[in-house]
Amino acid sequence: MTTLEARELVKDFHVRVGLRRVRLRAVDNVSFTLTPGRTVALVGESGSGKSTIARMIARLEKPSAGSITVTGPDGRKVPERQYRDNVQMVFQDPFASLNPFHTIEHHLARPLKLHGKPHGWEDVVQLLERVSLPGRDIAGRRPHELSGGQRQRVAIARALAPGAKVVVADEPVSMLDVSIRLGVLNLMARLQREEDLAVLYITHDLATARHFSDDILVLYKGRVVERGPADEVILNPQHPYTKILASAAPNPEARGRAVEIDPADVERAGAAAAYDHNTGAWEEVTA
Amino acid sequence: MTNLSPVTVAPPRGRSGWRSMLPRWSPKLGVGLVLIVLITLIGVVGPLLVGDPSTIRDIGLTTPGGEFWLGTTLTGQDVVAQLAHATRGSLYIGLLVGVMATALSALFGIVGSYVGGYVDEGFNLFSNVMLVIPGLPLVIVISAFVPADQRGSWTIAVVLAITGWAASARVLRAQTLSLRNRDYVAAAKVSGEKPWRVITVEILPNLLPLLASQFVFSVIYAILSEAGLSFLGLGASNSSTLGTMLYYAQNGFALQREAWWWFVPPGLIIALLGCGLALVNFSIDEIINPKLRDIPRRDKAEAARTPDPVPRPDDDVVLTVTDLSVVYQVDKPVHAVKDVSITLRRGEILGLAGESGCGKTTLAYAINRLHRPPAEVTTGSVTFHDREGGDIDVLALTPGELRAFRWSKLSMVFQGAMNALNPVISIRAQLDDVLTTHRPEMTKAQRRARCEEVLKLVGVDVRRLSSFPHELSGGMRQRVMIAMALLLDPQVMIMDEPTTALDVVVQRGILREILRLRDEIGFAVLFITHDLPLLLELADRIAVMKEGEVVEYRAAQDMFEHPEHPYTRQLLDSFPSLTGERGSFVRSGEQTPPVDRSGEPTPSGGVR
Repeated sequence: MTTLEARELVKDFHVRVGLRRVRLRAVDNVSFTLTPGRTVALVGESGSGKSTIARMIARLEKPSAGSITVTGPDGRKVPERQYRDNVQMVFQDPFASLNPFHTIEHHLARPLKLHGKPHGWEDVVQLLERVSLPGRDIAGRRPHELSGGQRQRVAIARALAPGAKVVVADEPVSMLDVSIRLGVLNLMARLQREEDLAVLYITHDLATARHFSDDILVLYKGRVVERGPADEVILNPQHPYTKILASAAPNPEARGRAVEIDPADVERAGAAAAYDHNTGAWEEVTA
Repeated sequence: MTNLSPVTVAPPRGRSGWRSMLPRWSPKLGVGLVLIVLITLIGVVGPLLVGDPSTIRDIGLTTPGGEFWLGTTLTGQDVVAQLAHATRGSLYIGLLVGVMATALSALFGIVGSYVGGYVDEGFNLFSNVMLVIPGLPLVIVISAFVPADQRGSWTIAVVLAITGWAASARVLRAQTLSLRNRDYVAAAKVSGEKPWRVITVEILPNLLPLLASQFVFSVIYAILSEAGLSFLGLGASNSSTLGTMLYYAQNGFALQREAWWWFVPPGLIIALLGCGLALVNFSIDEIINPKLRDIPRRDKAEAARTPDPVPRPDDDVVLTVTDLSVVYQVDKPVHAVKDVSITLRRGEILGLAGESGCGKTTLAYAINRLHRPPAEVTTGSVTFHDREGGDIDVLALTPGELRAFRWSKLSMVFQGAMNALNPVISIRAQLDDVLTTHRPEMTKAQRRARCEEVLKLVGVDVRRLSSFPHELSGGMRQRVMIAMALLLDPQVMIMDEPTTALDVVVQRGILREILRLRDEIGFAVLFITHDLPLLLELADRIAVMKEGEVVEYRAAQDMFEHPEHPYTRQLLDSFPSLTGERGSFVRSGEQTPPVDRSGEPTPSGGVR
């Protein structure tokens, strides 16, 4: 039972404006827990800090404050050296996340080797077959010979190679064609069930967040504005910002409706206190 | 999503890994290689065949012919023999410097930019300092400092390498900075790779073409600089290079004595070697940037099309496309658009939906005649029915007429257009530029008023006119692009994924503007996107494209309620409903039938 707990995560970036250095808070006091077999979705627009959270969990960025701890099945904290055996990430763009120079075999054999697993041709083929790819046919190919969906499956296989129990998926389907998105999401769901994975699903798409996760956290400017069970948050949104997001999504059933969204309203909505569906309470904005 | 530029549509299949690192065969490469091989042969094999170059005979300045077929020098040495040894000397120094300078530039350029922080700042500062020190004077100072008797080939090579690496380091640094932010580098880090392995295994191979071209560049630089140094008498002592040959020719007053055979051959070899290396470098550049490749234009096929403009069916129609086919004439011709017929009515929003590679962008480009070789319109016609009466056969327009037609009758908002604004020119100047080009009769005040008017139309504050693009948000820039497309009051606007890169809230604002403008101005919109639900809400009619064909074409409401084609149904199923039933979007963890039907293109299958 490997769980990951993020507590009061903060990330500040320093930007130079003229001669001054300005602090930009990308992630502001975000806490959540990933537990085996459950998917938590982080929903937000660009700039809301969701990718920064993913990069902090993948140890690509250092949090400015707060902690990320992984607890192993024995109930003890996983030491830093074994962190990457347990936590892996699937990147957004399968066209960018595979090195064009190397074969698929290289992409999978390396993580297997680095994490002390058997890393022969057969092991790579097996790994590819777990993500429903014809392993023998594909292992020797290079990324540009595969379609977008196939590449993303390879990327998922790479994340599973070290035997990770916590997987961060940063917009895993947004770069894929619509007709193959469902297949990739379902593959992730199958692997999650088989391996009892804890998944953090990062997306800007409210609809897939609703259907493919158990809990949803809505982010605005680095702050969680609403959290709760998926259906609750989407079907019964309490926070004004979540309501705006839901109304802005295309809806074929509402042809000819006039949605007026004033940017000032969005700003005002985002500043409101956060709502937690689990406790049914509004939490004050901490300064 | 569909990042489909006409040139890159058909990736060469089967060219993988090492093979894709090799330059493509072209006449340039051929000529360059032949020159280099010939000169290398002279340098490598030549000295074995000729006699001692320093043998002095008493037949100074013999004209070419007979025993000495390139004549002799002032002291009766055989020019052919000297040339062979000199070429060897020059090539030797060129290679030495090439290796050393490339190694130095790789160290300072790649390692520095990968490590980042102070190391990068330091290395970068150092390369910049080396770059601003004028090369040749420094070389002269350094080589003059070394006593002449210790000045061997190695000394000269080291001096040239030290003064010649900085520019390459800058180029490599820029490329590495972009590579180190690629996802595959991040992915390698996440899987636990060590930094040195990330540099050597993940980054370096992707820099190979660049390293190769920088290597060739430093070889050229070294051979030329060495020739210059030797000509000034500062070259390596006891060695013969093409430069020293020229130096002795100069000292022997070869020019004044009209002994052309003494100085022309070495000069020619330097020039031809430089030329050959430069030609090879062009071919290497084409690997790094495939857009540099020449694509042969085939005019005859374009002309074979019989223009047959369609008569105006009724006053309401503004654009008729009939049986349009577009073919990419590559090795294996790709039929990107197949017999597409659509009509666009005034004030109508026609949606064009489809996935990447279905030909929707190619179709939009062909309607506007923006397609470039190897794309060709093979059959069909595009007819524009002007508001003022008269039909225009778009495919038959001359380049001049086309320029007048585009933008003023039919304008286009490109995919990712918000990044198409020139970052160093103000919004006002960019809008103004369109008017000065197309409406030269307008006065400055009129132009200004028009610019303000269109900006107001798309809901951007007029004060933004004097802003620069980077000061605006993505949504704002996209609005400016739409304003620019509106400037000349076009009757048709083609929008290719105008909101794909934007957030839903921003997208909503732009869609509202498009609808409002359509109602106020009454232009027709061809709206291209992969987002079918968006079209179902926005468009009047929708054409669904698959593999170049329009598979379903009907009113939006109709399509939503009774989708007929299985592909349309599959597309609709692919979008989960936000608030409604889950439909096929059950997190089952099973492979649901629609996925199999989608048929992820099998690797051996056609175009992706």
